[in-house]
Amino acid sequence: MRWLTLAAVLILVGSLAVTGGAQQKLKAGFIYVGPIGDYGWTHAHDQGRKIAEKMVSGLETLYVESVPEAQAEPFIDKLIQQGARVIFTTSFGFMDGTLAAAKRYPNQIFAHASGFKRAPNMATYMADFYQVYYLNGLMAGALTKSNKVGYVGAFPIPEVKRHIGAFALGVRAVNPRATVHVRWIFEWFKPSAAKEATEALIAEGVDVFAFTEDSPTVVQVAAKRGLPSFSHYSPMQKFAPNHVVSGQLVHWEKIYVDFLSKVVAGKYTTENLQNVDYWWLLAEGAVEVGGDFGVPVSPAWKSKLQAVQVTTLDLGRLSVHDLVMKRLAQMTDPKVTFDPFTGPIRDRKGKLVVPAGKRMTVGELNTMEWAAPGIVGPWPKEP
Amino acid sequence: MRRLGPWQIDRDPAPRGWWVLVVSLGAIASAFLAAGALFWAFGIGPARAYSTIFLGTLGDARAAPEVLRQAIPLLLCGVGLVMAFRAQFWNIGAEGQLLAGAVAAAGVALFAPLPAPLVVPAMFAAGFAAGALWGLLPTLLRLKLDVNEVLSTLMMNYIALFFVEWLIHGPWKGQEQRGFAYTDTLPPAAWLPLLPGTRVHWVTLALGLALAGGLAFLLARTKLGFEIRVLGQNPTASRYAGINPLRTTLVAMLISAGAAGLAGVGEVAGIHHRLLAPDQISLGYGYAAIIVAWLARGSPLAAVLTALFLGLIFSSGDVMKVTLQMPFRVTDIFNGLILFFLIGSERLLTYRLRRVPRPAPHATAVSPGPERQTGAGIPEETGVAESK
Repeated sequence: MRWLTLAAVLILVGSLAVTGGAQQKLKAGFIYVGPIGDYGWTHAHDQGRKIAEKMVSGLETLYVESVPEAQAEPFIDKLIQQGARVIFTTSFGFMDGTLAAAKRYPNQIFAHASGFKRAPNMATYMADFYQVYYLNGLMAGALTKSNKVGYVGAFPIPEVKRHIGAFALGVRAVNPRATVHVRWIFEWFKPSAAKEATEALIAEGVDVFAFTEDSPTVVQVAAKRGLPSFSHYSPMQKFAPNHVVSGQLVHWEKIYVDFLSKVVAGKYTTENLQNVDYWWLLAEGAVEVGGDFGVPVSPAWKSKLQAVQVTTLDLGRLSVHDLVMKRLAQMTDPKVTFDPFTGPIRDRKGKLVVPAGKRMTVGELNTMEWAAPGIVGPWPKEP
Repeated sequence: MRRLGPWQIDRDPAPRGWWVLVVSLGAIASAFLAAGALFWAFGIGPARAYSTIFLGTLGDARAAPEVLRQAIPLLLCGVGLVMAFRAQFWNIGAEGQLLAGAVAAAGVALFAPLPAPLVVPAMFAAGFAAGALWGLLPTLLRLKLDVNEVLSTLMMNYIALFFVEWLIHGPWKGQEQRGFAYTDTLPPAAWLPLLPGTRVHWVTLALGLALAGGLAFLLARTKLGFEIRVLGQNPTASRYAGINPLRTTLVAMLISAGAAGLAGVGEVAGIHHRLLAPDQISLGYGYAAIIVAWLARGSPLAAVLTALFLGLIFSSGDVMKVTLQMPFRVTDIFNGLILFFLIGSERLLTYRLRRVPRPAPHATAVSPGPERQTGAGIPEETGVAESK
């Protein structure tokens, strides 16, 4: 009996010491859906976590990788036991689990990536690529000789459809005869399927590639045939320096640093997050165009893009390289003087989906199912 | 037969219970030792690692029920696999049968116009039927065309997996999920009640326990159970005894696959409340259940314990990931080590060490088996060699 009491006292003292120490620092816990070594989504979030840890003073972080969707809640329990006061969950599938945990832990702060459900102590956030894909599309349209551009898609969900849509709008803006051929692989990370899809597209005559898959496979397979491609999510230029033209890069740390600094400063509390929704794009610096940081267009392809001339309504006649740089500047401008999803836009069936003069709202972008003109291939749930 | 001084190693036709237990526990202990070396290599003292794991699973009021929750699908699949393995049918397809059950449950909950109290029973019935149906095809292929069931049941898993993918991306895709690949949330009547303060859907747990008890009774006390046992131990003898191998295997396999289907219903109705990506519905429970059944050594009741044990391993992996910040593959490595040592130790069960003093030169032939009668007079080669 004495032993039992002693043990209980020890455990109590021990746990007090742990929570006592945690109050000095801000501990944030990150729940990832994939492995941090995936070279895509989760890797990028983890890079953001590491940078935030350096930039926000007094911040300490914990993470868990490859968390199954139904396990969000038990893992949140464990992170909070470890002293985490802010929890980031980084996949759509964690939405309901995060919301349930936010209700159970009213004194902790939660933030959920890519979802739409919020609470007084739960915010949402997303860094989206659609503007970057449009810029990539401009370059792809200028570079294709066969007028067939390829896209290896992960899943036919609105996010990917929006990206392919913006990409196709870019392609068509410089090359009205070009088509975008889409292959779905139904995986976020599956190099074997990405390889197969790329080879099938090559056999169809495609000669420029973009994709959504968390490995550099498409880049490597295309480079082996001497074909240009656009890197996805992580800096993949190094995998094929002569064949990666540009790509999409993310800076989750911009959101993490902003959010956590505001928590530290007392601006974000457990009561005022109901309407906090980050939808960060080029203007906020949350995304970047390029196959490597600081390299929007690979030097190997710059002259080729300068050689192609196009005429635009608002900017007149200029090279595709200059067009990309102008559009980039317009979208990086805090006033965002250009957006690819500005009407009039018709879908590939000819139906007017964005009226003239209107820009698509965040809500519309998040539920977008239609296919832009020029897209060829199956499009599940096409309206 | 081999001599080591006064000891002799020979075949053991029927290892005793305590020896099986000792060897199994020894294998698990070896796996823990090997994993300990791994922790040490990772820079975490094994003693600290195991105490953290213990405190984070069984020693924690909120985490302990999670062990139970993970054990539920393992129990249902595992008990089912015990049945199939007893009939010498190597069902590797519990994963696919689980998914088939999950699909049926979601289908009933979403589309069948049933009064609320009937929804859950109908889901379980449909799930059992769907699982059994998924197991039926490889069973028929084996019985009629002698197709190897290890391959066919395994392949059926992939068909189930892609079928679920197709459903959630296509015809069953939900209206309320912003285009993400899920069905709509099931109506509340289809949600299983939880033990208060936990996420344990006790209805499925009760079903699993009842099934374990029922199948133990069936194997030990009924004609069908006797037939399954004889068929499993010696198919030729069973044919001479007039046992219909087709019917017996079919029944054992339908129970096996149906039980896995029930596990799928539990996951959908108790946890997810919708159909979603197959690797999220089941965290490889159908495959881990093979270890459950193997450890249980043919006893449905033992499967209750082994399922809890595997549930503990799954939960331990979660603790290792969070508290020790180890890579996510650590659970797989843990499972792999246990299976490796268990299968490796199997050899120890088929042989025994006996003390046989070197006989005097004139009395050569007689060597009485001192411990037991069983197998003493059977020549080495014709013993029941394949006993499990």
